[in-house]
Amino acid sequence: MEQNYLEIANSLWMWLASGAAVAMVMIEAFVFAKKSYSTGLEIGLSQEQMRGAVKSSVITAIGPAIVVLSAMIALLVSLGGPISWMRLSFIGSAMYEMMAASFGASAVGVTIGSDPMTGVAFASAVWTMTLGSLGWIIVATLSADKMDRVQKKLSGSDAKLMGVVASGAILAAFGATSAVHLTALNKNTVACIAGGVVMLVLNRIADSRNIKWLREWALFFALIGGMMAAVLWPF
Amino acid sequence: MNANEIYNQQYIPFIVRWGRRINWTAMALCFSPALVLAFVFDLVPPVSALATAFVAIASVVGVPWFVEPVSYFPIIGVAGTYMAFIAGNIGNLRIPCAMVAQKVAGVEPGTNEGSIIATLGIAVSIVVNTLILTAGVIAGAAVLQRLPQEVTAALQFLLPALFGAIFAQFAAQRLKLSPLVLIICIALVLLGKSGLMPRWFGSISTLLAVALSIGLAVVMYKKGVLK
Repeated sequence: MEQNYLEIANSLWMWLASGAAVAMVMIEAFVFAKKSYSTGLEIGLSQEQMRGAVKSSVITAIGPAIVVLSAMIALLVSLGGPISWMRLSFIGSAMYEMMAASFGASAVGVTIGSDPMTGVAFASAVWTMTLGSLGWIIVATLSADKMDRVQKKLSGSDAKLMGVVASGAILAAFGATSAVHLTALNKNTVACIAGGVVMLVLNRIADSRNIKWLREWALFFALIGGMMAAVLWPF
Repeated sequence: MNANEIYNQQYIPFIVRWGRRINWTAMALCFSPALVLAFVFDLVPPVSALATAFVAIASVVGVPWFVEPVSYFPIIGVAGTYMAFIAGNIGNLRIPCAMVAQKVAGVEPGTNEGSIIATLGIAVSIVVNTLILTAGVIAGAAVLQRLPQEVTAALQFLLPALFGAIFAQFAAQRLKLSPLVLIICIALVLLGKSGLMPRWFGSISTLLAVALSIGLAVVMYKKGVLK
């Protein structure tokens, strides 16, 4: 009789193995934050600017992190605690993980959600989630410094041009994701427009009266406003 | 040493050295759950099944492996790229935190100061995200599934609101560029939906939007329309 796969999936061994990978993500965040803070002081950023950045980032992260959390709960049911926790702290896009897990399980003949999960299907799901995410790590890690050199060469010493390139990229990245919701013509469209409007209004008030806390909380309120508008929208 | 030299000759080399070391270690360690299943619990899927599953997932995410690091690089920079591609959740969490941090600190994206503040913002978002997930997994599914239905219903609209809000924040700063970019993006989405394009079109449409938009921004800047 095979051991129940969920007992294995939630075993101490799996917690330790998952914790090792999550620890590296946290270590990198600490190493980079510490270096950025000290370099920031050397190149003339004030402590106040950097504290503001840290604080606003904490506030901004809460809403989206709760969405990630709700995705983790969806995974939790079929994959157990440690793997769901690790995968969403790691590469973790919920859509990707669910797809990879179901491809892995179905390759050994198990449909997640309808068939009973077996140990081998669980292992196959874990391997597939792991192997499928390697591409991002390899490409990003090999190319980060090279892309930096290319960008510097292309824009020369024109710092303003770098800013123009960055804002072009930001507008397109968020324009592309917004366009999907805008053209859907449903409650997502309402949420997208309302989020944008609340953000604009709050930023304008914060800038004209120079209210620092409002700048820090603007995105948080825009998310609440967008969600409420979508929920209350009558159609 | 002036500020630019400190950034280029000390900060960036440090980030590249440690970014590589930590990312390669993280990549090796992400195999540990699979290896524990194999060596401790004797659960090894057949190689043929794994090959099938890998081909299936690679056919979906193979293009994004290359497209996403390139598309996001101009926004998150060197340090952001190392962190974001092991911590994930880039568009929905890392970039919004970087953008708000830059706004609050009053620095511009694309400058040395902007990149340092963005790195701080992304690092903080990783810590917050990991802590919330850890608390959630300890609290367990049972507690979290008792969230009122209204809350879970509202949460599915958080991401559309987020994307609209970040777009609006930058659109307000670039009033000449942003309407054109939005038209390009909507046109690409409609083109993708029209059925005229091959299926892989969807996975490169963000890259196309980024490339077109950067090109347009550079042309407008050179002609003196953008400052």
